[in-house]
Amino acid sequence: MASQEPIIAMHGIVKRFGGVVALNNVDLEAYPGEVLAIVGDNGAGKSTLIKILTGVYQPTEGKITLDGKPFQMASHSDAIENGIDAVYQNLAIADHLTPAENLFLGAELTKSIAGFTALDNKRMKAEATRVLKDRLGVQLKSMDVPTESLSGGQRQAVAIARAVRHDDLRVLVMDEPTAALGPQETARTLELIKALKAQGLAIIVISHSLDDVFEVSDRIHVQRRGQCAGVVKTAETSNEEVLGMIVGTKTAA
Amino acid sequence: MASSDTTLDQPSFSEKIEPYISFLGPMAMILAIIIFMGIAEPARYFRVSNMTQILLDAALYMPMAMAMTFVITQRGIDLSIGSVAALSSIIMAFLIKQYGFPAWSAALIALCLGALMGLINGLVITKFKVPDLIGTLAMDLVYRGFALVIAKGLVLARFPDLITEIGRGQSLTFLPTPVVIGLITLAIGYFMLKSTHFGRYTISIGSNPEASEMTGIAVDRHRVYAYVLMGTMAALAGIMLTGKLNAIQATSAPYFNLHVIAAVVVGGTSLFGGRASIVGSLAGVLLLSMMINALVTLRIEFFWQSVASGVVIILSVALYTWLQKKDRDGSGGMAAALQNPDNRKLLKLTVWIVGALVVLSIISMIFGGPANPSG
Repeated sequence: MASQEPIIAMHGIVKRFGGVVALNNVDLEAYPGEVLAIVGDNGAGKSTLIKILTGVYQPTEGKITLDGKPFQMASHSDAIENGIDAVYQNLAIADHLTPAENLFLGAELTKSIAGFTALDNKRMKAEATRVLKDRLGVQLKSMDVPTESLSGGQRQAVAIARAVRHDDLRVLVMDEPTAALGPQETARTLELIKALKAQGLAIIVISHSLDDVFEVSDRIHVQRRGQCAGVVKTAETSNEEVLGMIVGTKTAA
Repeated sequence: MASSDTTLDQPSFSEKIEPYISFLGPMAMILAIIIFMGIAEPARYFRVSNMTQILLDAALYMPMAMAMTFVITQRGIDLSIGSVAALSSIIMAFLIKQYGFPAWSAALIALCLGALMGLINGLVITKFKVPDLIGTLAMDLVYRGFALVIAKGLVLARFPDLITEIGRGQSLTFLPTPVVIGLITLAIGYFMLKSTHFGRYTISIGSNPEASEMTGIAVDRHRVYAYVLMGTMAALAGIMLTGKLNAIQATSAPYFNLHVIAAVVVGGTSLFGGRASIVGSLAGVLLLSMMINALVTLRIEFFWQSVASGVVIILSVALYTWLQKKDRDGSGGMAAALQNPDNRKLLKLTVWIVGALVVLSIISMIFGGPANPSG
């Protein structure tokens, strides 16, 4: 894995909000077929980091490379166009719409009826069923129910499916994907992440749950007070070491 | 994988009927009215002429109920529709009577004016950030004021055939023309809700405004669209009313807003956003018209209509809220509710207020002199 080129890499990223330094000289690399976990205390700069990664914020200093080439994003849609998307903590799901309607929200498929543009609900439903089944291995009991009637894990699957619907998606950022889920739902969501990893996506997961991080990640990037406190391979570290790095009693070997 | 081990429990009865509740609810109430009237006053209620009258009354509210479904689904409200209807049709009436405009162009101008007033409502709400309740209530005063300024106390009457045809004609089909117009607007609304970006975003905005914004949906623009649609449909209703009465004045259409909101809410569209039902709105409009007609048929005094409408709104909103509450654990009925200290304090307060009323009445009777009628 390490021999491969990273899809996206950040070098010496600095982000200041007025006088506040949210990120100070942070490097980050994401490889295809790898899950990178970002952990850290509240205010360590995790959210700022992924917002820069997904084009929501622009860095004050530093550069980003995509496939080794310098790359700038002016907005989140730039990121999506280049195969980078995110699934947010507060699931961006409209509860009253069906899974298919949520999957295509803001990017509906259309057809033309007698010169009028109308939504192609049939095609969206078929496509949504396909994405859920082929890419996430999820089959819902019914595609015609409002999303609010689904379980937490299924809703998470719908949110993820919205990102992986684009066949050219390469980098998926997930903010606290298991935060609001019970143990069973968490296990399913971790399965989803593994399935996507097997498809060659670079996955970046922010999580507070070290158990989940150790279960699913390949490398762990620890943020502390706006700086990178170290990047360790999951297989070569322990819960205590990562915890120590988060609170600052240990540094990366 | 993820769903293979899901316990495939059968959906409960309430889950099964939930998608249809918006339709079944009003239908059950309509059935109740039919049964009640079948016992109380079948001869006069079920005459063909009376049925036509019910449809005619309902037709007036159909276009507005369609548009209000969109507004309410987006978590909005429009209290100005009565004044929009009055002002746009007053101007139409003046254009026809005083300036000799052809009826068709004056009617189209009225529709455009309605759209313009809806646009102003939408901009006041989205750009000036005035909450919809206050914004449309204030604009209601403004539009009503303009209507009074223009028309003074005048009643404009006797309009060309086109206008009366729209309001009460029957030359299109076996159904009265306004009913046809109303049903067409509802059909268009149904299509818009299911198959256009506007309809889809209307639901998503009402369901989760933040998520819609994050997804890149132009939330404010689609909210303005809903108010423009509302204004246009209110103006259409104004034209229909003008034609139906063959007369219009500045104080016409006073209770359009509450009647339409009642019909939409009774039809299962949620005041909390995201849940829309055009078919339910049709059922709600029919229900209200049947109820009011029943009150008239039973020769109950006109003023009771407003009492009945209010009670129906409260009952239906309470019913839908109760139905949507998934978790009913711990609701052990009246006895359990009385165990709750908060509820006991409320009960005490109620006793105090009612007691004060009773005591004051008794004291007044003791100390009062002979009656002194003001009239």
